[in-house]
Amino acid sequence: MSAAQPPRKVMVVGTGLVGLVVARQLRERGERVRVVDNDPERVEQARALGFDAERVDLQDDDALRALGIADDLDVLFALLDDDASNVFLVISVRALAPKLRIVSISETEETLQRLYAAGATKVIDPYQISGYKIYELMSRPVIAETLERTVFGRDVDLEIAEIPVPAGSFLDGVPLDELDLGERYDLVVLGVVDRFYGDHLIFATDTRRHRIDADDVLVVIGPRRALERLRGELEKS
Amino acid sequence: MTPSDWLVRLAYELEESHRYRRFKHRVWELLEDPHAPMRPYFDIFMMTVVLVSVFLLLYSVKHQVGPWAGWFEDGVVTLFVIEYLARLWVYDDVHRHVIEAYEKSELVNEPFRASPALWSAIRAKWRYMTTPLAIVDLLAILPSYRPLRILRIFLLFRLFKLFRYAQNIQEFATVFREKRLELFTLFTFLTFILLVGASAIYLFEAREEGGQIDSFFESIYWALVTLSTVGYGDITPNSAEGRLVTMVLIIGGLGVISFFTSIVVSAFQEKLGDVHDRQVATLLQKKKGYVVICGFGRVGEVVAGFLEGDHRDFVVVDDDEARVSEARRRGYLAVRGRAEELGMLRKLGVGRAAGTVLCLTGNDVANVYATLTARQLDSGIQIISRANHHGTLHKLMLAGADHALEPYKIVGLIAGEYVGQPVAFEAIHGIVMGQKDIALETVRVPRGSWLDGRPIGEVPLADFRLILFGVITPLDRESDEVRSAYDLGRLRFQFNPGADFVVVGDDLLLVFGHKYSVLRLRHRLKS
Repeated sequence: MSAAQPPRKVMVVGTGLVGLVVARQLRERGERVRVVDNDPERVEQARALGFDAERVDLQDDDALRALGIADDLDVLFALLDDDASNVFLVISVRALAPKLRIVSISETEETLQRLYAAGATKVIDPYQISGYKIYELMSRPVIAETLERTVFGRDVDLEIAEIPVPAGSFLDGVPLDELDLGERYDLVVLGVVDRFYGDHLIFATDTRRHRIDADDVLVVIGPRRALERLRGELEKS
Repeated sequence: MTPSDWLVRLAYELEESHRYRRFKHRVWELLEDPHAPMRPYFDIFMMTVVLVSVFLLLYSVKHQVGPWAGWFEDGVVTLFVIEYLARLWVYDDVHRHVIEAYEKSELVNEPFRASPALWSAIRAKWRYMTTPLAIVDLLAILPSYRPLRILRIFLLFRLFKLFRYAQNIQEFATVFREKRLELFTLFTFLTFILLVGASAIYLFEAREEGGQIDSFFESIYWALVTLSTVGYGDITPNSAEGRLVTMVLIIGGLGVISFFTSIVVSAFQEKLGDVHDRQVATLLQKKKGYVVICGFGRVGEVVAGFLEGDHRDFVVVDDDEARVSEARRRGYLAVRGRAEELGMLRKLGVGRAAGTVLCLTGNDVANVYATLTARQLDSGIQIISRANHHGTLHKLMLAGADHALEPYKIVGLIAGEYVGQPVAFEAIHGIVMGQKDIALETVRVPRGSWLDGRPIGEVPLADFRLILFGVITPLDRESDEVRSAYDLGRLRFQFNPGADFVVVGDDLLLVFGHKYSVLRLRHRLKS
């Protein structure tokens, strides 16, 4: 599920174990990554690994503003080592940049709630996810392996992708259940997100008939080349 | 042939007889093996026999009972005698002593003499006969000998015999053995106070001095009654000196009692963990293919929650007391201990009945070690481990894990997906993580069902409100209907097959949909 789109500007705050892993992964995906930390030693370490690293006093709002988080950033990751610092950072950043997407991690249920309350857009719970993966490996090994080898693993061909529907394209105005991309493009349509109704997915087999219109986002699974073909044809139309 | 020669031949015959050894082993299992399947039934039967016989003997103290009671008692005694002899028999092998002595004498070229061999065999049996439980067994037979009234007291031993059959109680009996130093100290102290108190009261309160005490035995009796704070009051001090002694004794008594209580309570508390572990082990013995979760941190908790939802059996092991009690609070089977220890994993049935081991502690060294240990115990068991640091993953696989996961790397993957396509991510994440009603599920095509050998287009998936993701088939299946196929080890994932793709029995359909839709499809395929 990698993106074939222009790189995004991402800032990773915190260069601990998690911070570096995330920064590395994002860099491998071709995003433009900057890392920031309080600790000069860690910043040096990150620089040694080839990251664009900066030392910033995270409790100083002016210093944060100077980083340009309010205007020149797509996503900010708050990945400091302790939960309290993360919550504090999320509050500070949210105050400075009301629209910015902020992603953080939490190790407990409580912090999860607190981070959302502080203004995080998305909170990842690594242990919840790991726990589920382990459970899946045990209880549904076929599904776990299929997903691992086709969608979620490294160097896989299948992608889950979001396709925004351009106004006036051949998708505009088609009912969701009549959308036959399986035959034409070798794509499986999971559903559509109608921004008008919020960010949740309207599943492709939903009982309510949904008509696709401009600015909806289709969620599809398919091989990379098929996705590229669809994207190309949508641009042309 | 001399008697010694005959003895040696008999010994070798017994050693070589399979039937003899098998029979002896059966008897041993029944009587001594705590894990034998027959054991609980035998124990309950014997307990019932003991209780009924004790009740009958007590009843006969004041009531006239019919002749059947005598027959029953005879039967019980016969049973006890047989049991006693059988236990004596299976304790060790006499013929081995003979063979050993014979082979030793052959080795040094001396004539074989039967008496030392038999003597060593008797000594071994005697060792058994002097164990407390064997003595109890023997004494339990005695109360049926009516003429001696004092023997009635041995009726109590029949009750003690219950210990033998209640394995949990045996655990508590060891408390006294382990705390013998403390108890001995206490006993010495108690004897000292008792003697001082008894002597003092005898001096002041003897009948000749105008008191109520006739003998030294009575003064000891009085001192113990006072010391224990029971204080019947049948003997009371009258003189001021006597009352002074009483007061001192009462204060000393409080000390003794609290000391004794604290020893016993602390010992029992220490033992409680063992009793609990044993109970867990017993419960696990009846199960098969359960999951052993090593480490009850956040990941362990999450996995346990999912397994509980699926009604799958599992046991938690962690060396942190707080986590173990948390697991118990949730009603899980939990044992405190270090999972990397061979004995602990074996106790939990790894290598016997456990189907999966999860090494999920926050400590990579412990995880690698536990993985290694589990693999050593069972080459076929499924092991899934957690790597906390980059680089451990490789070590875990080397140690024998089937799968290893890096929680932080997963964060990285998810972060990347989220940055790229937040909408698709939010949409699919819930489905894949099992947090929504809609999930990805597999549906097996039953052999010989109506779909076996028919094109996939005949399944009205849209009516079921399901979306076909793909079909999993054996590796050798190829079809023009499939544009993208992916190999998964011994299986092949056929992505998005066309309507004319033919499925056969045992193929797996991967569908997205509501769980009720999936259930309906399964049901339809069966009919």
